[in-house]
Amino acid sequence: MRQTTATPSSRLDPEPVARRDFLGIASLASMLSAMLLAGIGMLRLPKAAVLPSASKKFSVQLPESLPLGSPYVPPGRNVAVFRDAKGVYAMSLVCTHLGCIVKQAPDGFECPCHGSRFAPDGSVSKGPAPKSLPCLRITAAGDKFIVDEEVSVPADTRVQA
Amino acid sequence: MKKNKYLLLISSLGVSALLLAAAVDENYLRGWRRVQNSVFGANDVRLRQIVVPAMRTTDRCVSCHVGMMPGETPVAKHRLASAHPRVPHDPAQFGCTSCHGGQGRATERADAHGDTEFWPEPMLPRQFASAGCGTCHSHVQVPDLASMQQSQRQLERADCLACHRIDGRGGTQRPGGQGGMEGPDLSKIGAAGWKADWFARHLERQQTDKDGVWKASFRELDPSQRSDIEKYLITRVGAPDLVEAKALFHSLGCRGCHKIRGVGGDDGPDLTRVGMRDVHRLDCSNVPGEHTLPNWLAAHFRWPAKIVAGSKMPVLGLTESQIDRLTLYMLSLRDSQFPEAFWPGDRLRIERLGDREFADNGVTLYRTFCAACHGDRGEGRRYPDNVPFPAIANPDFLAVADDAFLIRSITDGRPGRRMPAWNKNSGGLNDEEIARIVQYLRGLSGTAAPVGQRAEHRWVQADAAAGKRRFAAMCAGCHGANGEGTQAPALHNASLLAAATDSFFVETIRRGRKGTAMPGFSGASTSYPALTQQEIESVVAYIRIWEDKGR
Amino acid sequence: MSDQSRSDSALRKFFTDLTRAPRRIYEAAFRSGAPVTDRTRSGFVFNNVFLHLHPVRTHRWSLRWTTTLGLGMASTAAFLIALVTGVLLMFYYKPYPDVAYNSIKDIHFVVPTGRFIRNIHRWSANLMVLMVMLHMVRAFYTSAYRTPREFNWLVGMGLLVVTLGLSFTGYLLPWDQLAYWAITIGANIAQSPRELTDALGVTSVVDVGGLQRQLLLGSDTVGEEALIRFYLLHVMILPLLIGVLMAVHFWRIRKDGGLTRPADADERLEPRRPDVYPVFTEAPQKTYQLAAIVRGRSSAVGRGPENTVPSMPHLFYAELGVLMVTTLVCLALSLAADAPLKELANPGVPENPAKAPWYFLGLQELVSYSAFMGGVGLPAIAVIGLGLIPFLDREQLGSGAWFGGPGGRWLAFRSAAFGLGLTLAIEVFAIRFGWIREWYPHVPQLVITVINPGTILALGYAAYSLWLVKRYNSARSGAMGLFTCAMCGFVVLTVIGTYFRGPNWGFFWSPADWPTH
Repeated sequence: MRQTTATPSSRLDPEPVARRDFLGIASLASMLSAMLLAGIGMLRLPKAAVLPSASKKFSVQLPESLPLGSPYVPPGRNVAVFRDAKGVYAMSLVCTHLGCIVKQAPDGFECPCHGSRFAPDGSVSKGPAPKSLPCLRITAAGDKFIVDEEVSVPADTRVQA
Repeated sequence: MKKNKYLLLISSLGVSALLLAAAVDENYLRGWRRVQNSVFGANDVRLRQIVVPAMRTTDRCVSCHVGMMPGETPVAKHRLASAHPRVPHDPAQFGCTSCHGGQGRATERADAHGDTEFWPEPMLPRQFASAGCGTCHSHVQVPDLASMQQSQRQLERADCLACHRIDGRGGTQRPGGQGGMEGPDLSKIGAAGWKADWFARHLERQQTDKDGVWKASFRELDPSQRSDIEKYLITRVGAPDLVEAKALFHSLGCRGCHKIRGVGGDDGPDLTRVGMRDVHRLDCSNVPGEHTLPNWLAAHFRWPAKIVAGSKMPVLGLTESQIDRLTLYMLSLRDSQFPEAFWPGDRLRIERLGDREFADNGVTLYRTFCAACHGDRGEGRRYPDNVPFPAIANPDFLAVADDAFLIRSITDGRPGRRMPAWNKNSGGLNDEEIARIVQYLRGLSGTAAPVGQRAEHRWVQADAAAGKRRFAAMCAGCHGANGEGTQAPALHNASLLAAATDSFFVETIRRGRKGTAMPGFSGASTSYPALTQQEIESVVAYIRIWEDKGR
Repeated sequence: MSDQSRSDSALRKFFTDLTRAPRRIYEAAFRSGAPVTDRTRSGFVFNNVFLHLHPVRTHRWSLRWTTTLGLGMASTAAFLIALVTGVLLMFYYKPYPDVAYNSIKDIHFVVPTGRFIRNIHRWSANLMVLMVMLHMVRAFYTSAYRTPREFNWLVGMGLLVVTLGLSFTGYLLPWDQLAYWAITIGANIAQSPRELTDALGVTSVVDVGGLQRQLLLGSDTVGEEALIRFYLLHVMILPLLIGVLMAVHFWRIRKDGGLTRPADADERLEPRRPDVYPVFTEAPQKTYQLAAIVRGRSSAVGRGPENTVPSMPHLFYAELGVLMVTTLVCLALSLAADAPLKELANPGVPENPAKAPWYFLGLQELVSYSAFMGGVGLPAIAVIGLGLIPFLDREQLGSGAWFGGPGGRWLAFRSAAFGLGLTLAIEVFAIRFGWIREWYPHVPQLVITVINPGTILALGYAAYSLWLVKRYNSARSGAMGLFTCAMCGFVVLTVIGTYFRGPNWGFFWSPADWPTH
């Protein structure tokens, strides 16, 4: 406890030592906690609750003349839809390395960014891509098919129209 | 100095409390959270939405109506988690608001449904839900109601419903039948279209079929029956109530005064986007009930001048069911702007290929554009506070008016009177359609075009001064001292004078028009002596002075 | 020492240093120790870049609540809150017509905490305008503008103008009907010097109004160019400007000798509490080597005992207290009421009435008579007049005390009565009987520009205050009269513009009487 009676008269007197100030500490602590709370609230803001991108589920109508095994890319989508002897399947065209869009090459697909190559069934044949191109879930709905870009399925899954 | 510390302490605690309150409000109290919590459990509570960039929609309706989210497993009979009823369009492709209206970006009930002051486009009420089709569609070739019902009867008489299902009717087994009589559902055949040889193929089946059902249920149809049935089928686009409402609209002649997509008269407001009007900008002080656009429209149909001060629209005396149907059709006039690549076929046909929303036969054309003023059967109309509208199917009129006169009158209208011009640049009808209306008029009264009349425009050469005296004495009472037409047609109208031949005037004065106030002056009446041909011609000569003055 | 042991000890030292690094980083950042003695408290203030705008010690008079009412700090706090929330809103806001509106809708409905933060932004902006105005009123009535604080009064005027500018530019960003039409009117007010140049027939030579409007909008209507300009002003130019002006404003407070206080402040304060440790208690014992190079008066040398306390913590408790109270008020308002967002801007359908933010409605009331006088002329006269006050009032009597100077409270009260009465009388007259254009439809615009309720009010106030100068033989009395009248006029006009004006700027007792068409 510091002295509480005599007023120090001179600047040469020893400097007073502050007593423990519970009220001050409590007020500062409550302010800091309020600030912390506000900070947490503010940090939540940048993580969006919904994304502005188009819905990841879309329906496609395959052209009747689509040859077996050749891709049909719905406009505006990075997905190829194929028809083969066993049925219809959809494959993502987004490179599993760093997200460039692969394009069709004579022996499958190739990525223009870092040279990854994929076999026609989507498996990696060369380059830095760590995984094969995923097959996407596709369901038949009447004469159309619904592709869900968010769900991948085993590579040999086929659906019938 | 202690009070500063108390100030800091208390205000900081207050801030913390309010922040916590805001956090609770945001994370626990939002309505969609509660809905999803009860349907999915706490682990899958998140905002859901359908984004369709092409339609410029971002619809978060599925955050509450969770069962309608594409790909979601709906819960049957749940108020919000049940599935969307089966509709022609996939919600994933079109979103919700493009059909239903409302505010897709909102996540709270009142805002989302548009029940707020600052959202101009509230949701369509459920009873008017099919008005949403009008956002994109504009059904083509819709006839007037009577014609549509007639062709529907034709279809039923031909027993098509024995095998086919239309709008939920028909297609069931007949007693004593052998089963398996389901033909294709024709409820949307108007949108899908059909092959031109459908009848020949039906006939072929009937002849080759062995089990007797075809033989029993299909019979020969004559071409007019077939065309009637086709006329009905083209209106089957999956929205029967809306098409019926539109057919009613096409029966009442509303488009005589109102334009839709550039076709119609110009006396009343353009209705092309009337379904998108912001009710907050309308005067609702005399509208009973809730101040919504449907209520405003319905009230306006009942008492036009009470809702819109100074409205020239007559009280039409509609029944409640007619008012409901007209309101539905008005609400469907939405005409949204979105990229042409996404236009449906019917809209493309109307806006780019010159197809018509109305059937292009004479009766529909007449009822769509003329009936409101000239009457359903051309008998003319008198509305309170309006000049009387002429009876154009009057046989006495049609017997003296040649087709050229009628066509010209329709094409150029009567500037200065309420009859609008109907040429391509004004009313939007083409020559062929106008000719069909004339043809229909002739059919209506069974009066052929006059023959043997002098066809020159001007041939009368008589004393106009004498005609002036006679006009003042005998004609001015109805036609006005200067021919301005107080009770009867305005004779000084330049357009009338340009269209009518002297024969028309002479013959009209001579014969009069039975059923109207215009007497025939060839014979004496109680108030007038009979006029000689010479005297009649002098009156015509006087009338012609107005034409010369107008030049 | 062998190489072996030397490298051993070097290695040991390396690890010792590594373990001490956190402590040393702390010491490098905070040179003075814990703020427990007056010396370390001083160090706490002047060793900290964020705090060193503060004095090391604060006079006890400055800490009295009634001295400032905390209004300056509340303005700063509101600005800081608006700054933080504004930066957060920029994560989602997109400055392009229609898209902007949708992005605000998204902020309202789906961005986590977005609605709350937007509400806080709006309420703190409103609060800031209010606090800045009240702060000016406080500074005036305590005569805090007098020598040597004249320049800081001018800086304060600049801050007021920039604050209004920030608020006005933010008004357009939501791109709703409210925003669109308020800014359309604002832009046309910027064009209103044309009223004068047209009347003089020189618009084809000097078109100040047209240039102003064109610079503001970048086009001839409010469109995407205008939006991007307003956005740039709102998030970049004006915040930078206000930051600089605030720094000058705060720095000048210290350089002008702290807050103004009455000459008898020390006597009027209650006796010093024992824990208040005085400085300059006796003849200073320091050498004056540094002070010797100072020409003129040094602020410290030769001063007697001062009634001061260390700023750390006493001043900071007060400042933080005001900061948190301001935050509390903002949060409470934000929870209670959402920031408005009307329907999407529609250039074809004007809002009726299109009202500016509340603090401009007084001007809008004057604009309804003459766009130039109400929107440019009178505000310019007001700003110039306010700026001149400290240079015309060179007295010192009553500095630092509320309503100091000849006449005091009674004069302020009488001036308020006069200002309210005159403003109400003229408004009632104009609302009841109309103005010159209603009586003589063909009168030249120049006549109305010169003679309208606004100019008559200004002249009335000026005449009244000149009479006060003569009556009390004091410039301060005149200033008191003029300022009080102007404030009363502002309040009356703002209230009329806010609550009693409806469609077509007609007078209505309540919005319930508005016609719906």
